[in-house]
Amino acid sequence: MALLEVTEVSKEFGGLTANQDISFCLDQGEVLGLIGPNGAGKTTLFNCIAGHFPVTRGKIVFDGRDITPLKAFDVARLGLARTFQIFQASGDLKVAENVMVGAFMRTGSRRQARGRAEAWLDFLEIAETGQYMLSELPVARQKRVALATALATEPKLLLLDEVAAGLIRAEIEGMVTLLRRIHQEKGIALLLTEHVLEMVMALSHRVIVLESGRKIAEGEPQAVVKDPEVIRAYLGDHFVKRAGEASHA
Amino acid sequence: MEAVRNAFDFSDFPRLDLWVAGGVLAFLLVFPALPHSSFAMTIMIQFLMFSLYGMGWNTIGGYAGQVDLGKAQYNGIGAYTTAVMMVRWDVPFWVSMPVGMALAVGWSFIIGYPLFRLKGHYFAIATIATSLILKDVFEVWDFVGAAKGMEIPIRKNLPDFLYLQFKQDYYYYYILLALFLVGLLYLNAFRHSRLGFQLRAIKDNEDVARSLGIDAHWCKIKAYAVATAFVAVVGSFHACYNFNIEPEDVMSLDLSILIAMMALLGGAGSLWGPIIGAAILVPLKSYLGDWLGASAGLVGLNLVIYGGIIMLIAAVQPRGVWGMVEAALARRRGDHGAA
Amino acid sequence: METLLPELLRSLVSGLLMGMVFALVALGLTVIFGVMDIVNFAHGEFLMIGMYTTLVTAPFLGVDPTLTLPLAGVVGAALGLACYFGVVQFLLRGPMVAQLLGTFGLMLVLRNVALLFMGSEPRSVHKGWLVGQSWLVGPGVVLESTKLAAAVLSIVSFVAVWWLIRRTKTGMALTATSLDKEGARYVGISTERMNGLSWAIGGASVAIAGGLLVNFWPVDPNVGLLFTMIAFATVALGGFGSIRGAFLAGILIGLIVSLPTVWDAFIRFAGLGDFSIHSFKYTFVYIIYFLIMVIRPQGLFGWKQ
Ligand SMILES: Nc1ncnc2c1ncn2[C@@H]1O[C@H](COP(=O)(O)OP(=O)(O)O)[C@@H](O)[C@H]1O
Ligand SMILES: [Mg+2]
Repeated sequence: MALLEVTEVSKEFGGLTANQDISFCLDQGEVLGLIGPNGAGKTTLFNCIAGHFPVTRGKIVFDGRDITPLKAFDVARLGLARTFQIFQASGDLKVAENVMVGAFMRTGSRRQARGRAEAWLDFLEIAETGQYMLSELPVARQKRVALATALATEPKLLLLDEVAAGLIRAEIEGMVTLLRRIHQEKGIALLLTEHVLEMVMALSHRVIVLESGRKIAEGEPQAVVKDPEVIRAYLGDHFVKRAGEASHA
Repeated sequence: MEAVRNAFDFSDFPRLDLWVAGGVLAFLLVFPALPHSSFAMTIMIQFLMFSLYGMGWNTIGGYAGQVDLGKAQYNGIGAYTTAVMMVRWDVPFWVSMPVGMALAVGWSFIIGYPLFRLKGHYFAIATIATSLILKDVFEVWDFVGAAKGMEIPIRKNLPDFLYLQFKQDYYYYYILLALFLVGLLYLNAFRHSRLGFQLRAIKDNEDVARSLGIDAHWCKIKAYAVATAFVAVVGSFHACYNFNIEPEDVMSLDLSILIAMMALLGGAGSLWGPIIGAAILVPLKSYLGDWLGASAGLVGLNLVIYGGIIMLIAAVQPRGVWGMVEAALARRRGDHGAA
Repeated sequence: METLLPELLRSLVSGLLMGMVFALVALGLTVIFGVMDIVNFAHGEFLMIGMYTTLVTAPFLGVDPTLTLPLAGVVGAALGLACYFGVVQFLLRGPMVAQLLGTFGLMLVLRNVALLFMGSEPRSVHKGWLVGQSWLVGPGVVLESTKLAAAVLSIVSFVAVWWLIRRTKTGMALTATSLDKEGARYVGISTERMNGLSWAIGGASVAIAGGLLVNFWPVDPNVGLLFTMIAFATVALGGFGSIRGAFLAGILIGLIVSLPTVWDAFIRFAGLGDFSIHSFKYTFVYIIYFLIMVIRPQGLFGWKQ
């Protein structure tokens, strides 16, 4: 049975249609990539799924429950966690305390929350950062803290919005390994967006492509990137011809 | 059980803090035994009262970051509940105080539900409006004495612990000190509690907080209720301590802002902040008022200076005195690290 | 009916006129708010200083109070500039709390400086062209020249500010700053200067309102708070930053404040006892602010400029 079922979801801001009739499924334990150029509507779709925006039309079912009308915090409690593309490192919570906030979703006890937070920091190989302020850490570490905080809510599905943005190549590889472990060792399904393709390609079982708010392709990663529509969306018409010529030759 | 353990868990503070806190506590305990003027005693009582106000405010204003400028209305509810129950039905303080607290908290839920749909400035101004509305009602409500207020009659046999009437101020002082210590321990537990963490996450970023399963609206209402309970208790005490209460005195905007000022000046969102703020502001206001107003005939100059200090702090270090101390300590640590 | 109709008319007229004064008080606040997102707690104190300026300088210079209005405007503008460059610009760097605290400190300073120099006694203007003049314009309806002049000058000020913002180059720069700070800076507008300008305009208009108000409203150092709250309510009602909205909302609030008089007359007329809601008239202002903010945060008219 599908873990997440998105049916003809549309989201309009005033006159602007950021998502238009998007449908897809995500199975238990699957890694699904959501790609598309900047402004395609990926973040908006995440916000709709996670309950931060009400959808204009459509239906979202998570784990057998219709979550379309639910608020973000209720969605989170059902086991759907997310990270944010724009992640401000401010405030007066230390790293470990940040992760504890996530853990507090499932327990009222500080002792337990702290224990779980430490375990997650350990799992993400940043155990030594616990007593720092978030703003004192480099970006790659901050992203891991955000990941740890989301994971501490013990989700079934994790939505990752551009976790690789702003990272250098070595850090991206580290992140790929980490996400693979999260998926394999913890059995958490992942839905990840990226406008840099390399990470999505490495991890995803299937890929969905958005452009201008619409779904233009879906399938195996290798097949999808050969789709002329996708190439056009990413690189413009010019490259479609070139790619066509290349495959003819 | 864990809450009790949390209340006594100060282990995340540096040792220096704890020594200072211990010293202050010792001083507070023996103060009445030291030679002092009655003016000094009045100031110490005010200091404890405003510490408690500020501690309460700190839950919603400091930890949750919602600048509430309408706390005086709950002070009024507490004070009037106690006064009305004593004057009309001869009910002791220890009964009327919890009743006042319950009424205030009940009212805070009614007000808080719509109030917390607002954010930032809009929220702050709306809190002022709600408090002024209630004050205007009390000013014409005959049952509570309208604008003249209420006066609690003096009892025959003093000291009266049931009705909180004493000849000597140190009785009031110790009762307040007990409330102060209970409040401090409660807040220490609060700070470590799930709600405490969730509020700080909300202050940080509400969207992120929501994605972590936090119902921000409801959490703020709960914190608002906690703050209200503190203020209402002090209000009840104030009624007994002053005998005489009137709306202009117990529900004024100045009081609301002063309550917020304690924590803001001392350092909002830290356990010691409101206490530091009260320790600075209360004597400053009283002594300045005494010297410049009564002695030199310069009525108003004290408040000019007081306003100037507030402006200066706001412009230089919005995290308050505690923020300055922490910044200085961090710099010292940094220097040591480099050396 | 004999008593009710004149009462209604009287309240309507006085509400309309008062409303225009309220609008003028709120004009400065909405201009500042349009340019930068800050709440100025000292707004009513600017008004108070405008009131004192007229009160003190008219006998001192030996001229009619009305003629001191330009002076009040200059004092208000200077005060606005001083406050912006002396305090507010530093507050803008901090969090919102710093702005609330800082302008509250400013309010205390201004209020108590006034107390120091002027004492706490309420004072009013007793002499002048406008004082004491009134016309009977209908059955029992009196038009006081002080209020009429205030209303007319309020309209003039609104037109002037509207013209300044919509029709002059400086005004365009001001609008650009309010719409997009970064962008304005990018095209070479000094946003610091624009912020200062908005405080000057704000200070001048509210001080002029004070100079007009003092002809029929006694001034004391604490007079500001009520008007700060009225101005907040007006600006909230009209939509934050909207000039048109402030004008209409001011009138609406003036009418609302005068309505309890009608209500009381009705109660008396209907013989329902002497229950009076007159002392609640400003309570309604607070209630309106609260309701508007909760139900329609974009303001009653929903204009955002
Ligand atoms: N809160 C919002 N209000 C109005 N428009 C928005 C909002 N969020 C996103 N948009 C618009 O929706 C479109 C899709 O944006 P987004 O979902 O952020 O794209 P992506 O994440 O794929 O880069 C963009 O045109 C953006 O301007
Ligand atoms: Mg995005």
